[in-house]
Amino acid sequence: MSIIDLTSMGEPQSELRKELNDRLKKLQDEISDYCFQCAKCTSGCEAHKLLELEPHKIVALLKRGLLNELVNADVIWTCMTCLKCRERCPQRVAPVEILFALKNMAVASGKQIPGKYTAMLQSILSIGLIQDIQQTTTRTNKTVKRDDLGLPPLSKPTDAAKFQAGIMKIAMEKV
Amino acid sequence: MNKKYALFPGCLMPTEQYAYELSIRETLPLLGVELVNVEGFSCCGEPMKSVNQLLTLYLSARNLAIAEKHHLDIFVPCAMCHLALTECQHVLEKNPAMKERINGMLAAEDLTYTEKRHIVHTVDLLYDEIGVQKIKEHVKKPLQGVKIAAHYGCHLLRPSEIGRPDDPENPQKIETILKALGAEPVNYPQKLDCCGAPLLANLPESALTKTGQKLQAIQEQGIQGLVDVCPWCHKMFDSRQAKAGETVAAKLEVPVIYLTQLLGVALGISSEKLGLELNLSPVEKLQLEAVK
Repeated sequence: MSIIDLTSMGEPQSELRKELNDRLKKLQDEISDYCFQCAKCTSGCEAHKLLELEPHKIVALLKRGLLNELVNADVIWTCMTCLKCRERCPQRVAPVEILFALKNMAVASGKQIPGKYTAMLQSILSIGLIQDIQQTTTRTNKTVKRDDLGLPPLSKPTDAAKFQAGIMKIAMEKV
Repeated sequence: MNKKYALFPGCLMPTEQYAYELSIRETLPLLGVELVNVEGFSCCGEPMKSVNQLLTLYLSARNLAIAEKHHLDIFVPCAMCHLALTECQHVLEKNPAMKERINGMLAAEDLTYTEKRHIVHTVDLLYDEIGVQKIKEHVKKPLQGVKIAAHYGCHLLRPSEIGRPDDPENPQKIETILKALGAEPVNYPQKLDCCGAPLLANLPESALTKTGQKLQAIQEQGIQGLVDVCPWCHKMFDSRQAKAGETVAAKLEVPVIYLTQLLGVALGISSEKLGLELNLSPVEKLQLEAVK
């Protein structure tokens, strides 16, 4: 099992792409119609001031069918998933969910995954967690790890092969 | 009557945010909560939501199925994990086709999701399950003179549609708990601002700027300190505070402490057992009796 199956253009991913495409089409055809561009989502957006994400514009572009452009835009990766847009939308459009679908589509289309996502995914595949036990520092500069503090053993998948087989099904599953 | 929960640790708390886990394990049993260590849990899946939402759903369902196997309700101290598991349960209950599909994949590990479990976070466990009155009765050292602000964390509050531990726009449970401990909760305009952590994976500078901006606002208002209830928020506000300060060109010195650590101090537990030396922010400024 390699990370490629989950993130690149391998055969199974074409199925995933089809599924994502259907989801985005549905968002485009049905959901984005409800949006009347009040921009309440953007007014509360945590990523707006800092990174110029404008959720209402994402919805507008989706409505116009500019799917490819959106999938390839870096700005979709600035969402902080604070969920305020979903909570506050008077029309229940949930731009955050549109952004998740767009990012998933970007990944399934073989566009490089930004930042540490690949490393986190790799760590999940090997130990089941996004990272292993870290050494931390105290205020007085002593270094400590989990067992120094008398904490019980880490809970993680006991049978790595079986765990990976489960995840493999996501990569290989035909829709 | 004892309440029994599987402790779902997630990734961040058990691999680096040890102070949260220490203070949880010290305080909750004193309030009649039995925490069960369960083998085999994995990541909740939420950090992978931008990459593959089906993977998120699968990992959450897997963890729910493990708890189900042990016939246990679940205590989830991380706001992000709590959202993932709650949302997964919501989806599987509403969408039988998805439930069947996920169960097909779970078969690889001989697991099945069949029924809803009670999923609680630190805030609703303390406020709704244990209750403020009971907490009050257990307080040995009231936190007199501690004026502190609360940070809930976005994932803890929204989307309210699927059921979250407190109100999405005006949460008050932490404040009520703080009052029960004898402290004085402080309101501030930036209360609902994000900690920035979800951007750590791909835009770490921006993530830290978000952190820095909120801490700077708190410091400028002369607020004594910040209390939080999520290992991701705490990683940003406490563990990375010095770095966050660099992004806003300010020397930040805001004491940041887990709610369960403050609870522990009020219950009379020693600072060592509560991991208070692990907080990198200047918690000694809070002048808690336990912290010298």
